[in-house]
Amino acid sequence: MSAAQYLELYQSLTEVLPGQNMPWLSEIRQQAREKFAGGGFPTPREEEWKYTNVTALEKKLFKTSAEPGEEAVGPWLDDFYLADAWTVVLMDGFFSPGLSRLDGLPGNVIACGMTDALKHHPGRVKTLLGSALGLEAHGFIAFNTAFFSDGAFVEIPTGVSLSRPLQILHVSTRPEGLANTRSLVGLAANAGVRLVETYAGAQQAYLTAAVTEIKLAENAGLDHYKWQVESDQAHHFGGIYVSQERSSRFNQHNFCLGGLLARTEIHTELADGAECDMNGLFLGLGRQHVDNHTRIHHREPNGISRETYRGILADRARGVFQGRIVVHPNAQKTNAEMNSHNLLLSDDAEIDAKPQLEILADDVKCSHGLAVGQLDEESVFFLQSRGVGHETARNMLTFAFAQAMVEKIGLESLRFLVQERLLNRFPQSGIRRDWL
Amino acid sequence: MSAAEQTIEKLISQEYKQGFVTDLESDTLPPGLNEEVIRIISAKKDEPEWMLQWRLEAYRHWLTMTEPRWAYVDYPPIAYDAISYYSAPKAKEGPKKLNEVDPKLLETYNKLGIPLYEQERLAGVAVDAVFDSVSVATTFKDKLAEAGVIFCSMSEAIRHHPELVRQYLGSVVPAGDNFFAALNSAVFSDGSFVYIPKGVRCPMELSTYFRINAAKTGQFERTLIIAEERSYVSYLEGCTAPMRDENQLHAAVVELVALEGAQIKYSTVQNWYPGDEDGRGGIYNFVTKRGDCRGAHSKISWTQVETGSAITWKYPSCLLRGDHSIGEFYSVALTNHRQQADTGTKMIHIGKNTKSTIISKGISAGRANNSYRGLVKVLKSAENARNHTQCDSLLIGDRCGAHTFPYIEVKQASARIEHEATTSKIGEDQLFFCRQRGLSAEDAVSMIVNGFCKEVFKELPMEFAVEAQALLGISLEGSVG
Amino acid sequence: MLKIENLHVRVEDKPILKGISLTIRPGEVHAIMGPNGSGKSTLSNVLAGRDGYEISAGSVTYQGRNLLEMAPEERAREGVFLAFQYPVEIPGVSNIYLLKAALNAVRKHRGLHELDAIDFLKMIKDKVKLVEMNEQFLYRAVNEGFSGGEKKRNEILQMAVLEPRLCILDETDSGLDIDALKIVSDGVNSLRCEERSFILITHYQRLLDYIKPDFVHVLAQGRIVKSGDADLALELEDKGYGWIDQQLGAVA
Repeated sequence: MSAAQYLELYQSLTEVLPGQNMPWLSEIRQQAREKFAGGGFPTPREEEWKYTNVTALEKKLFKTSAEPGEEAVGPWLDDFYLADAWTVVLMDGFFSPGLSRLDGLPGNVIACGMTDALKHHPGRVKTLLGSALGLEAHGFIAFNTAFFSDGAFVEIPTGVSLSRPLQILHVSTRPEGLANTRSLVGLAANAGVRLVETYAGAQQAYLTAAVTEIKLAENAGLDHYKWQVESDQAHHFGGIYVSQERSSRFNQHNFCLGGLLARTEIHTELADGAECDMNGLFLGLGRQHVDNHTRIHHREPNGISRETYRGILADRARGVFQGRIVVHPNAQKTNAEMNSHNLLLSDDAEIDAKPQLEILADDVKCSHGLAVGQLDEESVFFLQSRGVGHETARNMLTFAFAQAMVEKIGLESLRFLVQERLLNRFPQSGIRRDWL
Repeated sequence: MSAAEQTIEKLISQEYKQGFVTDLESDTLPPGLNEEVIRIISAKKDEPEWMLQWRLEAYRHWLTMTEPRWAYVDYPPIAYDAISYYSAPKAKEGPKKLNEVDPKLLETYNKLGIPLYEQERLAGVAVDAVFDSVSVATTFKDKLAEAGVIFCSMSEAIRHHPELVRQYLGSVVPAGDNFFAALNSAVFSDGSFVYIPKGVRCPMELSTYFRINAAKTGQFERTLIIAEERSYVSYLEGCTAPMRDENQLHAAVVELVALEGAQIKYSTVQNWYPGDEDGRGGIYNFVTKRGDCRGAHSKISWTQVETGSAITWKYPSCLLRGDHSIGEFYSVALTNHRQQADTGTKMIHIGKNTKSTIISKGISAGRANNSYRGLVKVLKSAENARNHTQCDSLLIGDRCGAHTFPYIEVKQASARIEHEATTSKIGEDQLFFCRQRGLSAEDAVSMIVNGFCKEVFKELPMEFAVEAQALLGISLEGSVG
Repeated sequence: MLKIENLHVRVEDKPILKGISLTIRPGEVHAIMGPNGSGKSTLSNVLAGRDGYEISAGSVTYQGRNLLEMAPEERAREGVFLAFQYPVEIPGVSNIYLLKAALNAVRKHRGLHELDAIDFLKMIKDKVKLVEMNEQFLYRAVNEGFSGGEKKRNEILQMAVLEPRLCILDETDSGLDIDALKIVSDGVNSLRCEERSFILITHYQRLLDYIKPDFVHVLAQGRIVKSGDADLALELEDKGYGWIDQQLGAVA
C-alpha cells in the first residue's frame, strides 16, 4: 500500500512543514498522520467512496517539494486570473507572493499564505483550523491535515463587505507533482465576500489535494465559486467544508470541467435560519471520472437549502453525484430541496447517483428529484426542421443544458471565463458565440 | 399539548393486538447450529441426498460470511447458537382434510381473522398455512391440480417434484447470495412451492399465512414460484407472530421465476410482532426476495404492506433479463414505537426496453426509523430502459426518522430514469379541516394516512387491501400532524 | 344561538381581537366586514376551534354551551361549520369518501342511523346540483387540482350535506368570478332557514349583493367599531375603510 510510501516521503519533510514549532498544530498533524497510516486513502469499500476508486494514486508517487519552486509559469496562467479580483496564488502547494495580486486590499482584511498567517496570526489560524471539519475524517482529509505544505488564509472582519471579488488560484506546474494545501476562510458577523477558487495546471499528470475550511459567523454572506479546470491528466481532490452560524448565507457554484479523476466534496452545516444554495455543473469527456459529493446538515431550525446539479457525460466518462441532506432532531421548519439532472450522451458513458434524505425532525419540507436521460429528441427535431444540422442541434441543446447553470453565476468576469471554457470543451459545437 | 399531539400519544401507545400463544405440543430441536443439525433437519424431512449436500454447502459458505451492517438499523448481535432451527407441531399423521386439523390451530387462525373455512367458502382462496415451519393444511388442491398448477409445501415439492426444485432452487437467489440467504439455504424448514404450467392462468389467488409461534425458534421459509411461458399467478402472503419477549429471527427466501410472457403478482401483508413500546422483543425480519423476469415480455410485481417486525431488512427485487420485461414494486412500510425498517427494492435492467416502477410510502411514528433503500441499475445492454421512482415519507411526531437512500447506476445512454422523493408531516391544516367536518382526530389521521398509501393499496387484491387498511388502523389508527 | 362576549384573542402574545361582543339568533345572517388584518379570520378560526389562538378574556356560548371548551369535531357535530378561506387538499382521499365519513360522524352524534350507500348517493346527487358541480368531482381527491372557484363550491357542497346550524363563511367570495359567486350565493341562499344562522366574513360588499344580511358589523383593529343593517355595507363600499379609520381617529 502506497500510503506507507507517502508517509515515508513525508517523514523527511516533517521538519519543514509550516507550524512545526507549534505544539498544538504538531499534535493535530500527528493524530492525522496516525489516522492516515492506519487507513490510507479511501477505498470503494467506504460507502461515501463507493463509486470512486483512487487506487491509481497508489500506483504512482506524486511528490511534493520541500519549498516553493521558481519554475517559470507559462503565459497560459494569465487565462485564469479574474480581471477584477484580488488574487492569492498557490503554486505547487505554496503561496506565491510574486504571482499574487493583492494591491489595494483594505487594511483590515487578511488575505495571505498559511505559513505567513501562522507567523503573524497564529491565534486566528488555531481558531479556524479544523473548525468546519466536524467529524469529517476520511483518508484524504487526514492526509491533507498531516502534510499540508501551505494554503491561503482569508479573514473578513465584522461588517466588511468587499467591493471586489477575492480569488484563490491553485496552480500546478510540476510533472508528477503534488499540491497539498489547506486554506482557511473566516467571515465575521455581517461580513460579505465573493470568493472564487480556481484550480488549473500545466498539461501533465499531477495531484491536487486541497481542503478549504470556511466559517461564516452570524449573518455573514459568502458567494463561493469553485472553478475546476485542471489538466486532463490530473487527479484532483478538493474538499470544501463550511460551518454556517445563525442566518448566514452560503451561495455556492461548482463548475467541474477538468481532471482525469476529480472528486469534489462540499459539506455544510447550518445553524438557525441559515441558508445555503448549491449549484453544480460537471462535464465528463474522454475517460474522465467526475465525482461530486455534497452534504447539507440542518442542525438547527428554520434553515433553507436548495441544491441543483447538472451533469453531462460523453465518450467513456463516468459521473457520480452523491447528495445527502440530513435534518437533525429539532431542526424544525427546515426547507430542503435537491435536484439533479444528468445527460448521458454516449453508450459508453455512465452516471451513478445517490441522492439521500435523512430526516429526524417532523415539521419539515424536504424533497429530492433526480433524472437521467438524453437530449429531448423532439427539440433536436425542431432545430433540424429549422435547418440546423443534427450534430449542431445536439451540441446546441447540450450547451443550453449547461448554460442554464452558467447563467446563475453572479460574477460577470467569471461567467465569461466559464462560458469560454465550456465552448472550448465542445470544439465542433458550431455554436456561435454571438448567439449567447 | 395540543389535542392532535394527545391523539398521537394515545395512538402510538397502543399495544399489539395479535399477541397470543397457541398451546400446541411441538417437536423442537435444541438451540444451536452445526452440520449435525442440518443433517437432522434434512432427515426429519426425508430429503434426498442432493438436497442435504446443497444445504451443507450453503452452511459452509455461511460460516465464511459476515452479517451485513450497512442498513439504517441498530440491534444487538444475534446469538445464532441460541436459536432453535427446527420446530414442528407434533403431528401424528399429516391431516388430510381441514376437519382433521388440530382445532387449536384452527382457533389460532380464527383469532388472526383468517378462518380457513370462511376463506374456503367466501374467498375461494387456496391457503397453504405454514405454522411454525411445517405445512399443516392445504386446500383447494384438487381444483388447482385440474389446471395443472402445483401448489404445495416445499418439503412435498422436494419429494414429488425433485426435477423442478433442482432446476430452479437457488437459481434466482444463490445459496451464497448474502448472509441471511445462506443461512436460510442451510436450514430452511419449509415454505411454499408453486408451479404454473405454460399458458395457464391460475384459477384462484394463492395464499399462505405465515405465523411464528414457538419461542426462540427462527423461521426460515423458502418459497419458490415458477411461472411458465404466458402463465399468470397472484400469490398472497400474510405474516403475524404472537407476542414474545425475546427477539425472534426470521430469515426467509423467496424466489420467483417468470418465463416468456408470464406474470407473477406477489403481495405481502406483514404484521409480525413489532416488540413493545420500549423496543423489547419483536421479530427480526431479514428477508431476501427476488424475482427473475427471465423471458421476454414477462412481468413481476411486488406489493408489500409492512406494519410489523422490530426490524425489517427486505428488498424485493427484480432482475429484468427478458426484453420488454417489467418490474414493479409497491410498498407501504409503517414503523411505530421503536420499530426500524430498512426496506426498498432493486431493479436491475438487463434486457432491452425493460421498464420498472417503484412506489414507496414510508410512515414513521413514535421513535421509529424508516428507511427506503433502493437500487436502479441499468446495464449497457438495457437499451431504452425506463424507470420511475416515487418515494414519499410521512412523519408523525417529532421523535421519529424517515430516510431515503436511492442508488442510481446507469450505463446506457438511452435510459430514462426519474426519481422523486418527498418528506412531510400530516398537515395541521388537513387535520383541522377534517375535524371541522366532524371527524375525530383518529379517523382524520387514519383517513389521511390511507389516502397517502392509496397508490399502493390499489395494487393489492381486494381482501388484502381491506386487511391492510385495518392493519394500518391497528398500528396507528390514524395519527397526526 | 351564538353569544360572543368581550372576546379577547392573542396570537403569539400579540393581541388580535380586543373585546368582541356579538349575539346571533336563529335564522339571522350577520356580515362581518373589515380591512385586511382587522382580525376577521382570527374570529372564524377561534369559533371553529383551530389551534394556536390564546383566548385571553371573554366567552363564547353556543346553544347554551361553552363553545371554547369543545374540540373542533365536537363543534362540527353540534352544527358549527366553517367554510375555509383556503380549502385544504388531501391527496388520495376522495371527496365522496370525506363527505360520507363526515356526514356519518355528524349523524351518529345526532342520534341518527348512518346512511346506507344508496340513500347517501341519492342525497349527494341532489346536493351536487345545488352548487352546479360536475359529479366527477365527487370521485376526485379532496380539492386536489381544483380551481379556486371549484374549491369554494366544494365547501358549499360540504355545508349542504352536513346541514349545520351555524355557518361561518370565511372570505368565501375571494377569488371567485361573478358566475362562481352567483352559484355559491345561490347555494347559500337555498340553505337559509328559520333555524340556521350565518356569519359572512368578507372584505368586499359585492357578496352582500347576492346574500342579503340582516346585520352588518365592521371590524377594525380587533373591535367591532360599527354595526347596522345591510345599508351599512353599501355606505362602507361607498366611503371605503378609510372612513372607518377616520371615525376611529375621532373617537380616540
